[in-house]
Amino acid sequence: MLENYFPVLLFILVGLAVGVLPMVMGWVLAPSRPDSEKLSPYECGFEAFEDARMKFDVRYYLVAILFILFDLEIAFLFPWAVVLEEIGTFGFVAMVLFLAILVVGFVYEWMKGALDWE
Amino acid sequence: MTPLNLTPALPEIFVLALACVVLLVEAFSKKPEWSYTLTQLTLVGAGAITLLTAEAGKVYAFNGMFVDDLMGDVLKLVSYAAAIVAVAYSRAYLSERAMFRGEYFVLVLFAVLGMMVMISASHFLTLYLGLELLSLSLYTLVALQRDSMVASEAAMKYFVLGALASGFLLYGMSILYGMTGSLELTKVVAAVEQGSSSLLAFGLVFVVAGLAFKLGVAPFHMWVPDIYHGAPSAVTLFIGSAPKLAAFAIVMRLLVDGLHPAVGDWQQMLAIMAVLSLMIGNLAAIMQSNLKRMLAYSTIAHMGFLLLGVLADSYAGYSAAMFYVITYALMSLGAFGMVVYLSRAGFEAENLDDFKGLNARHPWLAAVMAMVMLSLAGLPPFVGFYAKLTVLQALVGAGWLWLAVIAVIFSLIGAFYYLRVVKLMYFDAPHANDLAPSGEADVRALLSLNGLGVLVLGLVPQPLLALCAYAIQTSIQ
Amino acid sequence: MEFTSLVFYIFSAILLLASLRVITAKNPVHAALSLVLAFFTAGCLWMLLEAEFLAITLVLVYIGAVMVLFLFVVMMLDINIEEMRRGFWENLPLAALVAILMMVEMATVLGGSRFGLTPPAPKPADYSNTRELGLQLYTDYVYPFELAAVILLVAMVAAIALTLRRRPGRKWVDPAEQIKVKRNDRLRLVSMAPQKPAAPKAAEEEEA
Repeated sequence: MLENYFPVLLFILVGLAVGVLPMVMGWVLAPSRPDSEKLSPYECGFEAFEDARMKFDVRYYLVAILFILFDLEIAFLFPWAVVLEEIGTFGFVAMVLFLAILVVGFVYEWMKGALDWE
Repeated sequence: MTPLNLTPALPEIFVLALACVVLLVEAFSKKPEWSYTLTQLTLVGAGAITLLTAEAGKVYAFNGMFVDDLMGDVLKLVSYAAAIVAVAYSRAYLSERAMFRGEYFVLVLFAVLGMMVMISASHFLTLYLGLELLSLSLYTLVALQRDSMVASEAAMKYFVLGALASGFLLYGMSILYGMTGSLELTKVVAAVEQGSSSLLAFGLVFVVAGLAFKLGVAPFHMWVPDIYHGAPSAVTLFIGSAPKLAAFAIVMRLLVDGLHPAVGDWQQMLAIMAVLSLMIGNLAAIMQSNLKRMLAYSTIAHMGFLLLGVLADSYAGYSAAMFYVITYALMSLGAFGMVVYLSRAGFEAENLDDFKGLNARHPWLAAVMAMVMLSLAGLPPFVGFYAKLTVLQALVGAGWLWLAVIAVIFSLIGAFYYLRVVKLMYFDAPHANDLAPSGEADVRALLSLNGLGVLVLGLVPQPLLALCAYAIQTSIQ
Repeated sequence: MEFTSLVFYIFSAILLLASLRVITAKNPVHAALSLVLAFFTAGCLWMLLEAEFLAITLVLVYIGAVMVLFLFVVMMLDINIEEMRRGFWENLPLAALVAILMMVEMATVLGGSRFGLTPPAPKPADYSNTRELGLQLYTDYVYPFELAAVILLVAMVAAIALTLRRRPGRKWVDPAEQIKVKRNDRLRLVSMAPQKPAAPKAAEEEEA
């Protein structure tokens, strides 16, 4: 089974090489004469006021967590789709129930306004 | 694939369906009153279904992942009752604190569902999923009072330590799986009978540690006082009662059903934990000035006592432990119920000083509280006495005399702080801050019934004792 | 050494290095990104164990979703890691001692041979781990499967109950309302009696 993934491994290696080699070459070959002016961040001639990283609004968190839940649900769909013909009605009903439980949650979050970006 | 037998799982299916309905009602109507009524009806309905489908003997379903037996049925019934009482006590408390929301009831229902799954688990996977379902609901309940810093902190602690405990349990289970090649308890027990012992002991250590965390026994008790204290009293009331039944059930399922061949190993572990719990719980409780914290330490001591019954490793011991946990749930409901009942908007009746001179103002409430306290202390004729007595009898019967002596000594020490509450209520001058119970008449009646139940069960303990003995005998091979 | 063992050791080395970076990186965002690398290499290791579906799920769910959430949280909180790490060096010797002791203990108890496992034969090329999993999951394991849905539902309720806050006084436009708008809501046709223009009067003044 693993031989199926050999091309993927090769691809990772080649991809790494393509990504890393130019950086290494640039680092090794390019002339490097740093001084403090070159290294300091440039912000319209002023000293930098604050960190470049901004705080996120807490609302992203709710969106992200709801996304994870439905992402997990999707993950369960893959093997189901692969074997649907073999597991027949039983497997179909099992998945319908699974989805129905989550749809209850979906309706709840919709009605609660968790999906609104006010 | 075997055909599906859904009948044993009917109560679970019912609770799940109705919990979804409550969630939808909350989403569409936004009237928490409806959620409240529906939740109570759901619990009553689940009780009816469990009663109707109860029968002696073990019935397995879902490929041996689910087991329905009399021990499970009794524990489930008590869990529903505890949830009904807890929700009823909490109603006024919740509405005064802007927590009277549909989510509260939905989460209580899902917690009850998690307990039912745990109680009926005969497979590592379902046991773990039930535990997670219960824990996840409880973490959220603790954090539900969002503007309270204490509650948020308690929820955070509960979550982190609970996750650690789940990790322990999972790690132990995975080692046992690696050793036995099965997740099914009936197959695990067969494999353990011929298994290697050092690996078994290693897995067992983690499983027992995980269980001890969930039960809240020393040395894994650190979370109990902080969570009991920090959570809103209505949530503490719930956490302190029904989940103990489920925790007892998984101890029975895992250690007695699944790992009985290793009884020598886990007996020693339980003995150490029981002694430590009795010691730490009873001694630390004396020093508390907050009633919720005191009751939290008393829980640790009581759970230690419960372990004594389990480690006696006999039918008498198991049924004594079952009797103990059921009566403990009853007493815990009474004690925390009183805290909730006496609290009102902007005031928590959680300090011992708040109970000073309660008798002068509300003699009947003081009497109820006194009955519960005396029962927790283990004085006759209250039910706490019989609970302790049966455990001690089983312990002596199994030849653990020294443990029984230690248990008696620490119970006597423990009686001090319960009696102090009684003394505060009856012999001290009333506190300047008058307690004005806010609850309705029906809650008051229920609370009285709870207190009287402690007395009546103490006067007539035989039926419940016999029921526990019968349930254990039909459920444990 | 077999080729797969070589690959295993390379991935393990990357995994260890990445995990080390997670706990040593000064910037929490860098730590989170190292965790992404650690998850990915762990996925590669699972792939070596022929658990292809789980490996892909690890990448899909953990890297695709959980790590995004981690990054949100890290960025939301703006943690001062230097502050938190004070006392690290003081506690290091004790912590290292405990960790090493635990590792030695576990290694003595848990030799791989104690499980009595023999390495399974490699699967043929057309073997699908996903299919095997599916055949079990939706039939024999249907009860835990539905329980998983319930746990997801509780997580949903918990997330909404704990983080959703209405903010009164915020100005925002509801797109649904915007679309539903009818012509008559915005534009009103008023019928008025025709009026004579006032121009002739001005002309008279000019003449005068």
